[in-house]
Amino acid sequence: MKGGKLISSTMRLALVLALICGVIYPVVVTGIGQAFFPFQANGEMAQVNNATVGSYLIGQSTNNSHYLFNMRNDSASGVDPDITVASALAQAQVIHNSTNISLTYLDGLIHNNTRYSMFFFGTAYVDSLSLNIQIIDHFHSRIAVYGKIYDGLNTTGS
Amino acid sequence: MIGAGYLLITALVWAIIIGLAWGLSKYLKKVYENERTFLDKILNPLENLIYRILGIDGDRDMGWKEYFLSLFAFNVFTAAISFVILTYQGVLPLNPMKFPGMSWSLAFNTATSFSSNTNLQHYGGGSTLSYLSQMVGIQFLQFTSAASGVVVAVAIFRGFAGRRGEGRNLGNFYTDMVRTMTRVLLPLTMILAVLLIGLGVPQSLGGYSLVKTLSGSFELIKVGPISSLVSIMQLGTNGGGYFGANSAYPFANPSPLTNYIELGGMMLLPTAMPFLFGRMLRMKNEGRTLLIASYGLYAIDLAIALIPVTALGAGMETRLGGFSTVLYTVTTTAFTTGSVNTNLAAMHPLVIMAALMGMMIQATPGGLGVGAMYMLMYILITVFIVGLMAGRTPEYLGAKITANDVKLAVIAFLAHPIIILAPTALAYALGAVHAIGLGTGPVGFTQILYEYTSAAANNGSDFLGTAGNTVFFNVSTGIVMWAGRFIPIFIMLAMAGRMLEKKRSTEVALRTDNLIFPAILIVSILILAVLTFFPFLAVGPILMHLEGIKNAL
Repeated sequence: MKGGKLISSTMRLALVLALICGVIYPVVVTGIGQAFFPFQANGEMAQVNNATVGSYLIGQSTNNSHYLFNMRNDSASGVDPDITVASALAQAQVIHNSTNISLTYLDGLIHNNTRYSMFFFGTAYVDSLSLNIQIIDHFHSRIAVYGKIYDGLNTTGS
Repeated sequence: MIGAGYLLITALVWAIIIGLAWGLSKYLKKVYENERTFLDKILNPLENLIYRILGIDGDRDMGWKEYFLSLFAFNVFTAAISFVILTYQGVLPLNPMKFPGMSWSLAFNTATSFSSNTNLQHYGGGSTLSYLSQMVGIQFLQFTSAASGVVVAVAIFRGFAGRRGEGRNLGNFYTDMVRTMTRVLLPLTMILAVLLIGLGVPQSLGGYSLVKTLSGSFELIKVGPISSLVSIMQLGTNGGGYFGANSAYPFANPSPLTNYIELGGMMLLPTAMPFLFGRMLRMKNEGRTLLIASYGLYAIDLAIALIPVTALGAGMETRLGGFSTVLYTVTTTAFTTGSVNTNLAAMHPLVIMAALMGMMIQATPGGLGVGAMYMLMYILITVFIVGLMAGRTPEYLGAKITANDVKLAVIAFLAHPIIILAPTALAYALGAVHAIGLGTGPVGFTQILYEYTSAAANNGSDFLGTAGNTVFFNVSTGIVMWAGRFIPIFIMLAMAGRMLEKKRSTEVALRTDNLIFPAILIVSILILAVLTFFPFLAVGPILMHLEGIKNAL
């Protein structure tokens, strides 16, 4: 019976490939990724004061835009942390006004973290979360508002 | 205007991909003509084990009907496995986020979508699917549908090659499918997946983690088996992302470098197909014809989209910028992949029009395997038209193209507009469009036209997203996706069966292996596509564009 044979063989092929492509393949790739690139494979998690505060790849909207750089909200994913350098420089002025951190420092920070959408030209951008973490790391013992964020990260509870 | 740097990068990407594809096609020919390769020692025992489990004789050649039926039955079973897992994921393992099962219509839509290489998504993966669903419900179908495209192309190439003395048939479906997995897709996706992990795409099975942010609020970090999915979604021209935001989501596409690697990933195998065609025919210039025609159309598409937009705008990702976003959008539709790195609703109407054109033509270069199949369909129609003009019997590859051959090719061609336009009209007539809050203006019409064009072309990029999760859109696009997939495959496999039987002459009436024929082919395809679709483009994106100009005045 030819039709029965075709059905039985194609069904078995589907099941065998479900096992190989759907289970073995992703599990093997996970094993390799976890062994060789644990930081990247787990989402490039960011730490401040020994507490995990998020992923460097995922932006955080801040409730205090006078002290921290804010992400943009009208991107495609809505969660990317990247802002244009022009936007970062404008935000640096606001942060300078409310904290007295020198513009030279802030502009230098932006400059050092600038990347380009076309590798060496195109849209110049910075990762807002990365800037914020560097500022908190640098100023938490000198500026009260950053100290509060820094200490708050290590307290449990909600 | 487009800067020189942008053009240089585009040229560089094309050159690298065409070079890699050329090299890969040498290896592919060995795989499908059973020549020795360096992987034999490891893979022969594994493949023989699989053949034993299937209980088949892998050396037995099949005619086109058996080849098609095997392919079709196989795809029904893969979709069924996925349907069951998606529906019952709530009680199945690997669900640390405790997501409930999908509704029957959404599971039907998702299973038909991924099994037909479409990857239209009426759900947001990051907040809907368990790890098991992402792996066996989604990634598994991304492999099998991609491999289905490849084996169809290979079987059709064998028919068109029609070499006597090497069997009168199209090959064995089971060995083609198994070898495509073990020797082509799995090795390539493993390499790409590990590379992408190194560049920041997560790959873990440890569950989402909740973290306290700098603002003291809580945020869910959605890590999972992302890299393994992204690599097959690109290499297999699938396009269905781990997240609703697809390749815009930073975890799926963290940097400009990953963006270009993923872009190249979706171009690689479809670009290798024309070379493989030339090699399997032992007529490399015939393969060159396919390549020039498809890349020529791709270039035209790109020019339409890049005239209005190269700057960063709303709805785009900052790290990718305007140019890369548009390049990706055109490429993902030209190769009918359907992954997106932008918010389509925010894109310029001309970018949307270029995207629609790619999906309406389907051979620019089109999806994996099927793009080359559509190009052969266009070639048959074109040699017929040219034959009429020259008053000679049309021929291709030395075989006479009869009236019945042309009828078949035209049926395959016309299936596409029918399954796009009929359900678009139906969606308005039954009030399904109104029910999801879209109107009859050019914006709403463009979104519905795009939805069915994307479904029929097995592309999968869409505007609707989770808004399309209604019984009407789930079921109607599900049917359109399978019709758009298997009707043309059925017809073109039948055509390959006919080509096998034809006597070949060495006298050539119309040369198809020179540099003039691809130009004729491009013009012919554009005329066919424009004649078929222009009225619908006119009341959709073209009207949108004109209204935009009027409002700016």
